[in-house]
Amino acid sequence: MKRMILTMGLTALLAPAALAAEEWGIDGEKKARFEAKVVDILCVITGDCPKDCGAGKRQLGLLRDDGKLFPAAKNFDPFAGTTVELLPFCNKRVLADGLIIDSPKARLFALQFVRPLPDGKWRRADRFGKAWAKAHPGKPAGQWFRHDPLVKKIIGRDGKLGIPGLKAQ
Amino acid sequence: MRTFASLALGAALALAVSAGGTQAAQGKRVKVTGELIDTWCYVTGIMYARGTAHHQCAVWCAVGGIPVSIRGDDGKVYMILKVEGDATSVAAPKLVTIQSHTVSVDGDLYVRDGVNYLIVNQVADDKGIVNLTHKDYGIVPFGE
Repeated sequence: MKRMILTMGLTALLAPAALAAEEWGIDGEKKARFEAKVVDILCVITGDCPKDCGAGKRQLGLLRDDGKLFPAAKNFDPFAGTTVELLPFCNKRVLADGLIIDSPKARLFALQFVRPLPDGKWRRADRFGKAWAKAHPGKPAGQWFRHDPLVKKIIGRDGKLGIPGLKAQ
Repeated sequence: MRTFASLALGAALALAVSAGGTQAAQGKRVKVTGELIDTWCYVTGIMYARGTAHHQCAVWCAVGGIPVSIRGDDGKVYMILKVEGDATSVAAPKLVTIQSHTVSVDGDLYVRDGVNYLIVNQVADDKGIVNLTHKDYGIVPFGE
């Protein structure tokens, strides 16, 4: 895990020069760059389609022209998804760059870079931490997950193991 | 008659396109029993991602907006898009507070492109956290 976080950090630093997906050493990963429409997955699946893709409260995906739908499950930031990255492009076309995780358990997409089409600029998919810091002024943003009020409330109530009073050996 | 049929087909296609660019399918009623998990850690296998050992990380990821799934007793992963009428699936209040619990749910299943998407209509049973994996794995990741 530490190696993966280090790799992600180095990749982020080198990103302006590379702007292409980096391997994360995950079984079944494939580097991929493709055009797609940013979609609200619940909308595509059930036809329940608010205009704003759920305003950040719904999982977003990438719908390719060949009809393949990829849930965009992960971005560059530790322990963070992609809604912050993709919501500005709701129902718009983008060029997505990252990793397809082709696992028998599920097929996911890790978004590393995104570029709005037809002529937008590449953006590194690391905006969750910045958005979190903006929403939580005064709190250290480096490890958002250790300082998030909701996380602290849940872990404070139930403990790190999820069962009140239970301690690790 | 042929003209009428063409118009009807056109109208049907237009309705399909308006629903997000593809035709929404009908879900299949299912009952799923299993453990609420962080989808990314479990699917990628980057760390041990079940039970008490991974609970803290599972909460981090759920609050961070990574999809929450049920790892069913049948071994399948069911990605949750909606819970008991609430279409919130990013840091969903109803999910982050019961992360790692073993639950039984009634829902509608949609299978598409290698993913099982689940609309949870009702959480019928919640047994809490029963998978005491910290005895073997400690706290994952970081050991603290």
